[in-house]
Amino acid sequence: MSKWSMVIDLDKCVACQACSIACRFENNTPVAAPDQAELGRAIRWNDVFPLPVEDEGEYPNAKERYMTRPCMHCENPPCTKVCPVGATYQDEDGIIRQNYARCIGCRLCTVGCPYTVRYFNWSVPDWVSPLTEHLNPDRVEGRGALEGPSIRPRGVVEKCTYCIHRLQKAHAQAEAEGRDFRSDEYVPACVQTCTGKARFFGDLDDPNSTVSQLSQKRRAFRLLEEAGTNPKTIYLQEG
Amino acid sequence: MSKNISRRDFLKMGGLAAGSAAALGALKNVMSAQAAPQVATSVQTAADQKIVASTCHLCSAGCGIIVRVADGKAVKLEGNPMHPVNQGSLCPKGQAAPELLYNPDRLTGPLKRDRASGQLTPIQWDEAIQLAAQKLNDLRKAGHPEQAVLMHGDTRGQMRSFLTRFMQAVGSPNVVSHESLNVAASKLGNYLTQGVYDLPAYDIEKTNYILSFGANFLEAGSNPQRTISGYTYLRRGRATRGKVVVIDQRQGIHGAKADEWIPIKPGTDAALALGMANVIIRSGLVDADFVKNYSFGFDSNGKRKGFRDFVMENYDPARVEQITGVPATTIARLAGEFASNKPALAILPGKGGLLNGGFGGVYAAMAVHILNALVGSIEAIGGTMTQRYMPCADYPKLPSDSVASKGLKTDRLDGARSKFPLGRDAYQAVADHILEGAPVKALFLYDANPAFETPGGKRFADAFKKVPFVVSFSSFMDESAELADLILPEPTFLERWGDDHIEGLGFPGISLYQPAIKPLYDTMNTGDFFLKVADTMGGTIAKAFVWKSYEEVLQFRLKDIGADWDTFKELGVWFQPGYRFAKRGSPKWLNEVVGKDRLNAPRDGYFDLYSRELNCLLGKMKKNELAALRISMTGDGANMPHYEATAFTGDEAKYPFMLNVITLMSLGPKSEAANLPTLLEISGMTVGETWSSWLEMNPEAALELDLNDKDIVWVESPFAKVQTKVRLVKGLRPDVVNLPYNLGHTAGGRFAKNRGVNGLELLNPASEPLTGLAAFTNTRVKVYK
Repeated sequence: MSKWSMVIDLDKCVACQACSIACRFENNTPVAAPDQAELGRAIRWNDVFPLPVEDEGEYPNAKERYMTRPCMHCENPPCTKVCPVGATYQDEDGIIRQNYARCIGCRLCTVGCPYTVRYFNWSVPDWVSPLTEHLNPDRVEGRGALEGPSIRPRGVVEKCTYCIHRLQKAHAQAEAEGRDFRSDEYVPACVQTCTGKARFFGDLDDPNSTVSQLSQKRRAFRLLEEAGTNPKTIYLQEG
Repeated sequence: MSKNISRRDFLKMGGLAAGSAAALGALKNVMSAQAAPQVATSVQTAADQKIVASTCHLCSAGCGIIVRVADGKAVKLEGNPMHPVNQGSLCPKGQAAPELLYNPDRLTGPLKRDRASGQLTPIQWDEAIQLAAQKLNDLRKAGHPEQAVLMHGDTRGQMRSFLTRFMQAVGSPNVVSHESLNVAASKLGNYLTQGVYDLPAYDIEKTNYILSFGANFLEAGSNPQRTISGYTYLRRGRATRGKVVVIDQRQGIHGAKADEWIPIKPGTDAALALGMANVIIRSGLVDADFVKNYSFGFDSNGKRKGFRDFVMENYDPARVEQITGVPATTIARLAGEFASNKPALAILPGKGGLLNGGFGGVYAAMAVHILNALVGSIEAIGGTMTQRYMPCADYPKLPSDSVASKGLKTDRLDGARSKFPLGRDAYQAVADHILEGAPVKALFLYDANPAFETPGGKRFADAFKKVPFVVSFSSFMDESAELADLILPEPTFLERWGDDHIEGLGFPGISLYQPAIKPLYDTMNTGDFFLKVADTMGGTIAKAFVWKSYEEVLQFRLKDIGADWDTFKELGVWFQPGYRFAKRGSPKWLNEVVGKDRLNAPRDGYFDLYSRELNCLLGKMKKNELAALRISMTGDGANMPHYEATAFTGDEAKYPFMLNVITLMSLGPKSEAANLPTLLEISGMTVGETWSSWLEMNPEAALELDLNDKDIVWVESPFAKVQTKVRLVKGLRPDVVNLPYNLGHTAGGRFAKNRGVNGLELLNPASEPLTGLAAFTNTRVKVYK
């Protein structure tokens, strides 16, 4: 068992959005058409956005700030508790997963999540041919039901899985080679592509892992720590 | 479970029934498990998978990529960890590249347009080759091969020399790069001081202090991924954290990440750099060995004024404050920090404020680069490096050909080195010259969309009407292809052979493009096309091109890089890591680092603080001649970097804002990226916009105009007006407004077309008279509802 965790160093993040787009192409999230995007219905499991700077001074002292935000994969997740059908759950590795076959699209979890990282898919993905050709053919099933990255049906809530299909493929690879799986054999797509090398991934239970050590730094913090959710996505402060 | 039926059907469609070959665990209690703690998980993937190492083509960084090909489809790109520029990273453009490959608006085969009706007819490649060969042979028969012109984009690697060789074999000197739209100003700054016509490479990883003069190095710039890699290492990759100061009208990402943001008055960078030089010299912080032994013109002598006296007399910080709006105390402090935290770097932009329509922009580039010289950062650890290139096998000598040699002796049609004596390319001026009557009888556009990407690009539409034979090699029906007679689509970079030089790290390297999948459509690598045209033309031109395919050309040119072809294909990249700095005054210094490209001034290893190259050109000019070039200084002053006020188009009272057209990380500099829906979706991240343009304006400025955030406004210059949404941005000077680039296409595909506005339409289309540089930051606009 591992305790998967991501550390994001905001000092190295340059808000390039590569994480958002790597995630899209890895996990087959659809493009939001202009009208849907305008309504705030774009599905980017990892989103990059400016933080409001209302109280941070006026020109020329204003400082713009940017944030990148995947799922926090809380140790104490509010979203799983509110799901009436058990569609979202925490697995033995601490990843918060979504069973699309069980999800009834009630969206309680999307409001239960204080980080707003759960996305309801309002419409059937509209990929103009031949754009569908680039879809990731990987397919993960948990409890015999689809969990991604194959396209989800309309009307379910979807979210970051820490690229669980990559984890499963790494496990399969280790098994095929007749050896134990090592926790440094897999990273999610956003970590792999990060242009500033701001993202780190690994096992928080392993005291020697990079994420363990970074999580002990003075700069380390979690979003909304006071909410008691205990996220496993950990940030390092700027500056 | 009945409510799940539709989804179960969906699952079956998705291929569940095919069985799970790679299933890991037994699927127990499949649907009855209610929040079971033990969860069986299985994964299936494509049966046939491979990875192909190649190179990204969506900006000038040229990052190495690894393409995941599953069942014959390119499904994902990753950064190539072997590539020294991106080291495994990949930006959103590269990540979105599968949308380029599988774009519904790609051209699927060669087309011919009937001029009269505008009707497009699909043709065979053989016919296209015949038409081009015949046209070029006709021009040669008429004795005017120089009337064939080729315009191209970045086009680095072997393609540039290949296309140049083709045009030379035909007999035309007219191969015009788009560099006058972006990097040429910085290259000239380096050339007129250090004597190297190239961008300096920066040893960002080892520097202690960066002054970025509008380099926008975390979003666009000339090599964004290279500078991001260096920046994050500087900040967090080593024990001591380097300081970064950004000088720019717009804060943007780089200003937001910097320790200090200096919102300088537009077009006054030269004054600031020289004000800092003044402080550095006065405080005795100059690298005395460098200025005394390896630079030219620091001290005055009987014959000419030196840089020291010139700067002391003219650029006191108090006066610089008047010009730049930056407080004198800040100038003094920054100069002190810069010179006492060595190694320190002053970074030039790839585009930006240097292209202000006057030679003052080039003076600014010189002044910025001279800051590096004053603190001893030229060719030094943590300072600048001189870009080296992989040795490539020489092409065989061109067969002698009287028609070609006569054509090659003619003046360049874009005016480079004739009308524009210092210019190497004047891309945007091609339209002006055609409209003024220059005889262009065949025009080839390779990786070029001048009708969109130049200030006032619409005039290319009129210019093309005067050219009887226009050929575009674009993969999309972009604004220029729409006007062409022949549209001969090239495969995307994921389906073709090619290569790129690795730039930005100093040391030499080559990165390979190779087909990750077979070309989807009836397209042809433009290299192969020209080989076939050469063969069809026969004679000396056929003799100059003995290769069967463009891949063979690459194999020939790259045979001596140190890797065999199979190894190179597997790795996708080959380089000689570790930049070796030349010792001051050594033979390597003389031959490779200082002065090597000078055409008139001596190549003696002296770094020019007083430009002898400029003296050769301007030295004999009289005051009125200099004034005609809009240079206010005369005598020695004209040869040294100094501040020249930008000649703005548009009266300040009537047009209160300077317009800046900004390049975004997402949409980048290439027209074809504008038709990638994912990039359009995320393009307006910084202001919360999507799929459209916006105008950035300071909130105080908006208040004065009684404008609210998100109001629809007109942006009007003396040339044109466009309508878009205003967004208030605090990190911006109140006298500047920004429009994002690569929106407002009128062609190029369903996603790109009619989304937002093209800010370049508002800009002054004139070229700078000495260099032929385009002007991007000398147009004022007014904004109203």
